[in-house]
Amino acid sequence: MGTAMSAAQARLLLKPPRAEGGTPLSASHLSQSLTVKGDLDSDGEVHIHGNVSGLVLVDRLVVEVGGSLDGDVVARDVHIEGRMTGRIFALNVTLESAAEVSGRIFHNTISVAKGARIDARMPWRPPSYFETLEQLPEVRQ
Amino acid sequence: MSMFNRNEKETGTGAAVGEKPSDAPASVAAAPKPAQPVVQPVVQPAPEPAPVRSGNAGPSVISKALKITGQLESTEDIRIDGEVEGDIHGVSVTVGNGAKVKGSVYGQTVELSGTIEGKIEAKKVVLTSTAHMAGDVIHQDIKIESGAYIDGHCRPGTNKLDGKPAGKPN
Repeated sequence: MGTAMSAAQARLLLKPPRAEGGTPLSASHLSQSLTVKGDLDSDGEVHIHGNVSGLVLVDRLVVEVGGSLDGDVVARDVHIEGRMTGRIFALNVTLESAAEVSGRIFHNTISVAKGARIDARMPWRPPSYFETLEQLPEVRQ
Repeated sequence: MSMFNRNEKETGTGAAVGEKPSDAPASVAAAPKPAQPVVQPVVQPAPEPAPVRSGNAGPSVISKALKITGQLESTEDIRIDGEVEGDIHGVSVTVGNGAKVKGSVYGQTVELSGTIEGKIEAKKVVLTSTAHMAGDVIHQDIKIESGAYIDGHCRPGTNKLDGKPAGKPN
């Protein structure tokens, strides 16, 4: 987590819901050959085809086939078809059959496709847990 | 029982979705015989094929809504419309109008329409009329449009500028 993130400001980690009629924000695509070492912060949608290591705060995250993410993510929707190591804090989680996930999956609703390789605890949380999340819990071994 | 069988056969041959058994051309093509008064089975509409996206190909796009704090490295093109705090290594790097980069940008080609606070090191540099460049530009080939803002040195780099960070060119 970056130092800017841990500043004393009481900032909600989950992005506010977008208005239904609002103009959709264009999605970001991080291509296969792109490696990001750092944090991602977006009100919109991010598709990871490459490699990202760091904290991801977005509205919707998609880890595509071949993509990989090493780090924690806070999002409204998380859709994983690639590899992910770290903690997921999301209201809706979808793990496709090609997914490889290890870590923890804090969720409100989850769907796991047959074939997905999951090595994770999946604690359920009410929506209010995500909507009031200001700081990620400490990682316990 | 026979009717039941006929229905099954109809389901097997009539792959297309037809609301009317006799009039829909797809249904005619599937069953060339004159229409017979059969009970049309309920045909579920075929699921729409998923939009084919060339997901892995093409450039990386950092959209307006995205802010990245950290380093980006790519062997392909990068287009930035959002905000990046950190260094960028790419082949062709485009910093769009309204985008902001705090850090150094390395590449074969760098086209700047937004703001960079840092350094550009590239073979070919283009600063468009909306560019705001605060920092040095090391280049072999530069184009500066009228209206571009530069606060820094522009100097030709004799070193190999191949997208990798070079040593101090002096």
